[in-house]
Amino acid sequence: MLRYIARRLLGVIPVLFGLSIVLFAFVHLLPGDPAVALLGQHATPERTAAIRELLGLDKPLHEQYLLYLSDILRGDFGKSVIDNRLVVDEFLLRFPGTVELTVAALIFAVGIGIPLGRLAARHVQGWPDGAVTVVSLLGVSIPIFVLGLTLQVIFAVKLKWLPASGRIDPRLGIDAVTNFMLLDTLLAGKPAAFVDALKHLVLPAIALGSIPLAIVTRITRAAVLDVANEDYVRTARAKGLKERRVDDRHIMRNAWLPVTTVIGLQVGGLLAGAVITETVFAWNGVGAWVVDAIQNHDYLVVQNAILLFALIFIVVNLVVDIGYAYLNPRIRYS
Amino acid sequence: MVRTKVGSALAVLALVFAACTPGASPTPGSPGTSPGTSPTGGAPSPTSAVKEGGTLVVALPGDMTAADPSFVSDSNSSYIHLNVVEGLLGTKPGSISEIEPVLAAEMPTVSDDLLTYTFKLREGIKFHDGEPFNAEAVVYNYERQLNAPEPLRDNYNYYFGAVFGGFAEKSNLASVTAIDATTVEFKLKQPQSNFLISQAPLPQFGIQSPKALKAGDADNPDPAKSPYAQGKGTGLVGTGPFKFKEWVPNDHVTIVKNEDYWNAAAKAHLDEVIFKPYADQTAEFNALQSGDIDMAQTILPNDAQSLEGNAEFQVFDRGDSCNVAVLQMNHTHKPLDNKDVRFAIAHALNKQAYIDAFYAGQAVPADNWMPPATQYYKALNLPTYDEAKAKEYITKSGLSGADLTIEFWYPADVSRPYMPDPKALAEAIATDLEKVGFTINFKTAGWRTGYLRDEAVGKFPMWLLGWTCDWAGPDNFLSTAFFHGDGGKPNKEFAYGPPELLSAFDKGLAAPTEADVKAAWEEAQDILARDLPTVPLVHSRPPAAGKAFIKGFVGAGNLNEALNTVWLDK
Repeated sequence: MLRYIARRLLGVIPVLFGLSIVLFAFVHLLPGDPAVALLGQHATPERTAAIRELLGLDKPLHEQYLLYLSDILRGDFGKSVIDNRLVVDEFLLRFPGTVELTVAALIFAVGIGIPLGRLAARHVQGWPDGAVTVVSLLGVSIPIFVLGLTLQVIFAVKLKWLPASGRIDPRLGIDAVTNFMLLDTLLAGKPAAFVDALKHLVLPAIALGSIPLAIVTRITRAAVLDVANEDYVRTARAKGLKERRVDDRHIMRNAWLPVTTVIGLQVGGLLAGAVITETVFAWNGVGAWVVDAIQNHDYLVVQNAILLFALIFIVVNLVVDIGYAYLNPRIRYS
Repeated sequence: MVRTKVGSALAVLALVFAACTPGASPTPGSPGTSPGTSPTGGAPSPTSAVKEGGTLVVALPGDMTAADPSFVSDSNSSYIHLNVVEGLLGTKPGSISEIEPVLAAEMPTVSDDLLTYTFKLREGIKFHDGEPFNAEAVVYNYERQLNAPEPLRDNYNYYFGAVFGGFAEKSNLASVTAIDATTVEFKLKQPQSNFLISQAPLPQFGIQSPKALKAGDADNPDPAKSPYAQGKGTGLVGTGPFKFKEWVPNDHVTIVKNEDYWNAAAKAHLDEVIFKPYADQTAEFNALQSGDIDMAQTILPNDAQSLEGNAEFQVFDRGDSCNVAVLQMNHTHKPLDNKDVRFAIAHALNKQAYIDAFYAGQAVPADNWMPPATQYYKALNLPTYDEAKAKEYITKSGLSGADLTIEFWYPADVSRPYMPDPKALAEAIATDLEKVGFTINFKTAGWRTGYLRDEAVGKFPMWLLGWTCDWAGPDNFLSTAFFHGDGGKPNKEFAYGPPELLSAFDKGLAAPTEADVKAAWEEAQDILARDLPTVPLVHSRPPAAGKAFIKGFVGAGNLNEALNTVWLDK
């Protein structure tokens, strides 16, 4: 197993190398100019040229790429053109926010999706199955930003049950220690702030989790139906086992495998969906940061934040693969 | 804005997966000193009714970019900074061009040759770190900008270079000298009529604690390595009514009441103010309505209109406008080189209809390239809406048919205070122009991904753009924003700039007497009215909105809004 993990980790290097080329090319092919973004309406051709020179943007592209690569290899991920903050510092500051949101969305998607999928499978072709199908369809077809703004209007603006944006009410004065807001509220010893942070998570988690919810529901339904037709399930029932026991021990244990794989894949989707969700909910995470950076043509932030994002996605995939082996004793990597 | 953000977000998705009036009023934001502002429901109240304490959460369109005013040129940072850092002079609350002394004890004395300005300073003032404010501190602050390390010049430190024409030996600021502990002398190389009015509204010329600047390595050529600029444990150490507490990037900036503020009569009423960035205006408006924030510094005019009649909220009026939206034209492109065509265009435009439709009435039709409250403004009687006259001018131009086809650009992805909805405004203008015989071909580009770059080099024949003042002087609008020359010739942006206009600009800035300065700027305005190189559209008052319990807010068209007068009636 250790050798497998080591090999997978080594495999990350060429992937990141390739990605760095794609990212560099993509960012430099985008229309626009960080110098103009920095200067705004104060830009004149002369000042723009001076800043391009200062940033090294006047050099040939291949030279710029080699400089970029050597910086990364030295662990220097650069700084923002706009606010001068180091990319790594900013990433570490914002990543906990994205993790918190992603995990909450995953809990929402899995916690609701699996029971819904099981319900639909149990009543296949019945009205619960139809209702679940409609929910799934809505989940995958409503764009996140539409759903997000709609949820805000209904639950925050009209009903005032939940906050519309942010990670916590700033009036509560919670010090950022770990930048995991739930953890920071507990460290501050303020249960009311913990509840407030939880409330802030609800709407963005639902908006972000809507697509994975639909997918997890459909996959669970399909997996359960698939397994339910196996001989050993029929045998279990013939033995006189109670339906619940058949469900838990014989159907779900086997249906878990495809469901787990899909959940793992959803993590990548969630990280990407967080880009939109964070913007709509003014959520201080990596996604909102990268969107701002793209608009400002803050090229180093875009390149390196996405590179770090990708690295994490790769690690998550690896963890899922290892979890897969753990869940299915028949699978062993060598 | 939503469209923009989501567009960018989708790109990430793809990547992941592959004027100088001597004043006696001592501080910015003194209650009840605003002649030009009439906040709707938030007017300054009698002192007896004021309630002390509380937290105000204010949404800004973006995050602060540095905890050192010298390094910023964006309005979000400045909005925060001006509450913490004060300068020698300031603009009177609610006014965009009336200047008053702040850290200076009085307006400066000026030598006959207009080259030496002597400031007497207030005594007994301390910075937030307890250090004394004195002449040495003023000298230190100006000299650190005058002699800024090369990498910090222009790009980060925009305003100093823009106002004084450069740094070190290239600067028009020859020296700043401490005559004694409370007297500072500024020497200029040549007269500069915008010297005082440019210093007043800009926190970039605020005075910060020299000790804190040094301790925070504020002059490190790489601002990323300066704890001061990054607000890490230090930063923004001024003399203002609020002190800097913390900055969590992209999340919030907190400032707290300065209990030891030097002007007891203008102490802040609030315990703290928290500024939160909202990149998406729809999300910001929802946050205001849900109670996440108490006040939005800028909202779309139509959102402001939707709050009318809602007792829970109020819309703040900003008084005198400090901006202009302009239908820009480049004279190398036909038929815009034809003066009759430009006059026809001006007569075709129904500016009031645009104001009603896209500005929720919060604007006035423009009769000049600078707003009415600007120094040396004069009414120019520019052509007004009259279709018949527009057609007469077209006939006079001798052009018809395909010759009247114009390529018209607007920015695709931005909302500016002077044009909240560029696409809709462009469509309305095109409709008006087509009514009198023009044919319009629309083109669009991203604000930061081509629009600003291409318009600056003269690629667009006709386009929408405007200007929000840095300071309310004619030079900032007529010259800096628009028709500044390029080596004595017209700039590429407009390809317009007759020698007499460029000469009037020079005289307006460097004339030896006040009367000459005034005459030069009036001459420049007359030349522009004569030639009508572009068509000014409107001067808007971008609205702010907040909860009804916010009292004492004094809005200003230049967003110079110190929050020390604000209190919460709840």
